[in-house]
Amino acid sequence: MTTMTQAPPQTVQDLPQVRGVKQIPVFEGFTSGHRTCQGCESALVMRLMIKAAGPRTIVVGSTGCMYVANTTYYSTPWVVPWMHTQLGSSGSAATGTAAGLASLMRKGKMQEEPINVIAFCGDGGGVDMGLSAISAALQHDEYNLLILCYDNESYANTDIQVSGSSPWGANSTFSPPGKVHRIMNHRWKKNTAPMLAAGHPDVRYIATACGSYGPDFTNKIRRALTIGGPTFIHSIDPCPKGWDYDPKYSHELGMLAVETGIWVQYEIVDGELILNGPSRAIARGIRPRKPVTEYLQRQGRFAHLTEEDLKFFQEKIDESWEKWWIPGIVPFGPQEEG
Amino acid sequence: MSTVAVEVVYRGIFQKTLARNIVRTIVFAARKEGKIGTAFGRYGDSPERNGIPAKQFAIVSDSPEELEENLAVYEAREVDVTINVDDTMCKGIESWAWYGLQPINALTKPGGTLIVTSRQTADALIEDIHQKDSAYNLAIVPASTSFSGLWVYKDDHTDVRILGALARVCPELVRLDSMLAALEDQGWGGLKLTSARNTHDRLATRPVEPGEGSEDEPFSFDLPGWKSMEEGLVIKGVEGGTGFRGGSLGEGYDPIKSNASGDTSYEPTRNAVFKKFSTRSMRPVINFDTCIKCTLCWLQCPDTCFDVTPDGLYDANMEACCGCAVCEAVCPVADCITMVNESEFNDNNSQWEHWTKDKDSYHKWMSELIQVQKEKDATRSHGYHSPGTYEAESEAEVALTGDDD
Repeated sequence: MTTMTQAPPQTVQDLPQVRGVKQIPVFEGFTSGHRTCQGCESALVMRLMIKAAGPRTIVVGSTGCMYVANTTYYSTPWVVPWMHTQLGSSGSAATGTAAGLASLMRKGKMQEEPINVIAFCGDGGGVDMGLSAISAALQHDEYNLLILCYDNESYANTDIQVSGSSPWGANSTFSPPGKVHRIMNHRWKKNTAPMLAAGHPDVRYIATACGSYGPDFTNKIRRALTIGGPTFIHSIDPCPKGWDYDPKYSHELGMLAVETGIWVQYEIVDGELILNGPSRAIARGIRPRKPVTEYLQRQGRFAHLTEEDLKFFQEKIDESWEKWWIPGIVPFGPQEEG
Repeated sequence: MSTVAVEVVYRGIFQKTLARNIVRTIVFAARKEGKIGTAFGRYGDSPERNGIPAKQFAIVSDSPEELEENLAVYEAREVDVTINVDDTMCKGIESWAWYGLQPINALTKPGGTLIVTSRQTADALIEDIHQKDSAYNLAIVPASTSFSGLWVYKDDHTDVRILGALARVCPELVRLDSMLAALEDQGWGGLKLTSARNTHDRLATRPVEPGEGSEDEPFSFDLPGWKSMEEGLVIKGVEGGTGFRGGSLGEGYDPIKSNASGDTSYEPTRNAVFKKFSTRSMRPVINFDTCIKCTLCWLQCPDTCFDVTPDGLYDANMEACCGCAVCEAVCPVADCITMVNESEFNDNNSQWEHWTKDKDSYHKWMSELIQVQKEKDATRSHGYHSPGTYEAESEAEVALTGDDD
C-alpha cells in the first residue's frame, strides 16, 4: 500500500511474553469502582488487557457495557487515558488516534515514543455495527493499533438483545422462547475472527482469546501490540446478566466454552494458524471435547432447550470439528477432485 | 385528596421481575378502588446490573392531576412504604446513579413503614439500618431473599406475601380485598392467595424510635455541577497504584515487568466516588494460613479488589468487593476462601490486618463465620445453577414459610 504522506517508522514497546500467572504484572490500569455486574468477565478482560499493555497506552471504547458501566457522572475506573467513541466506530477511532499520535510526533509537538493504541468494542459494536470500520482499520497497515472485541454474545448493556454473535437458541429479550415457538434465535454465531483474517491477509496478527486463561490472554495482547500494524483480538466473555448464571461461574464457563469446542482458541500470526491451550489438545486428539451440555445446561438462557435441541447443538459443533476444512475455524474447502 | 407512594428497593437484574410484579399489582389493586396510579422504575438505574441496588415505585392518587404532580420528579422525595426485598441492603444502598450511600429508610415518611423480607430478627436488622430523626415502623416478612434473573419469574410467593403485608401496614393505599382481587386477576389463585392472606394476618410490626439504629455516617461525595466541569467533559483519571498501604513501589518497580512472583507489594488506587460494596450480599472470608499464593483470586477478580501484601498474600478490599464469588470459585485450596452472608459483618475492615495482628483471634472469628454460613445457608440462591434450580428453590421456600396451611 502506498500513501502520499509517509508515516514515521513506528517503534513498539518492549512487552515481553509471560510464562505463567506469576509473571503477570502487578500494575493496574483499570481499577475498582466501575458499575459492571457482579462477576463481569468483560471488566476482567479490560483489566487484563491494560495490565498487559502497561501505562503508556491510550484506550478508546465504543458504546456498550464497558463504556456505560464505567463512566457515569464524572467518574472513571481508568488509570490510563480513555475516550468514548460511537457504537460502530472503534475501527475509525483507533486509526484516527494512531494517526493523530504519529502526526503530532512527526511535527515535533509530542515526544517520540511508542504509545499503545487499543480500541475496544462489544459484539454489538464490533461483530454487528462496527464491522466495516474495523475492516477499514485493518487495511491501514501504516499504524500500530489493536482492536479488541469483547464478546458477551448479546447487546447486554441495554438488557440482552440478540446480536450477530448470539448463539443459536439462546433466550434474550429479542428471542424469548414461547409455547408455540421454542427457538427464537435461528442464526448461528457469526465467525468473526476467521472472516477478518481471510479478508485482510496483510494483517500480521488476529487471535481469539478468553479471560479465563490469564497468561495466554496477556501474551496475546502483548503480541498484538508489538508485532506492528493493525491487529484484532476477539474474546469470549461469559456474562452473568445475559447468560443467566450465578456470577461465581464466570471463570468456569469461559473454560467450558473452550473445552466443549464451542469456542476455539487460536492466533493467526503472519498467515500461520497456531491453536492454543485446550483447543490445540482437542485438535490433536490428545483430549476429547466435553459434551456441549456441560456448558449449555449451566446457563439459564438455554434452560428451554430440549434433548433434541441439545443434540442439534452438539451435531453442529461436531460438524465444525470433523467436516470443516480447518476444524472449528474455516467452514468451506476446495472442491473435491473426481 | 391524597397520594400514597411506595418504593421497592431490589437487587438489579436478580430481582427485577419481582419488583415489577409488586409495583404493578399495587396499581391494579388501586384501580379496584377507583384510584389512579403508575408503576415505574427509577430512570438512573437503567440499564440495571446484577446485584447493584435499584428502585421501582408505585404512586397512587385520587385524581390524575395529583398523580402527575408526583410523577414529575426523578425519585419520590418521600414514600409511605419502603419495601426492601434483600435484607443485606439494610446497610444502605449505593445505586449506580447515586454517588454515596443512601440509607434504606431515607425516603420513608415519619410514621411510614419499612417492609423487609428477612429471616433475621427486627433487632438484628435495626442494628444495620441507619438511624432517623423521626419514628417509623419496621415490618418483617419472614422469607429468604428471592433471587432469580432478568427473564425469570421465580414463583416462591415472595411477591404476594409482600403485597399482603402492604395491605396490612397501609390500608389507605389499598384494602386487602382489593389486593386479593388484583392477584386473582393476574391468575394467582389458590395457594398464592392463601399466602398473601396469611402474611397479612400474621404480620408483626415493630415501632422504631427516632435515633434508634446504626450511628454510621453514610458516605457521600460532592458532585461537580455542570459549571464546574472541565472543558470537553474531561474527567481526571485515577492515579496510578502505590505500594501496599500507600508505601513506595521501590526503585526497581517496572509496570511492565514487576509481577506477583517478586517481592513487589501493590495497592491499586481506586475510584474515589463509587465504592460498589452495597452491591454485595456475600463477602469472601480468607484463610491466610492455607493460602498457597497461587495468585488466582487476585488475577481473576473483575473488580481489582485484591491488594498484594508485602508477604505475598492477597487482601480483598471490602469497599471495592461486590461479592461475585469468582475468587471462591477459582481458589484451588478447599475452604481457603468462603463466601459468607453480608449480614454477619458490621464493618469493612481488612482481614489481612486482623490476621497479621492476632492470628488466634482471626481464626476464631473466621471459623465461627464459616460455621454459621454452613448451617444457615446450605444452598446458595444466587441465580441459575442447573436445570430446575429456580423450581426447586421456589418449592423449598414455599414449604419453609408454612403460609400455605
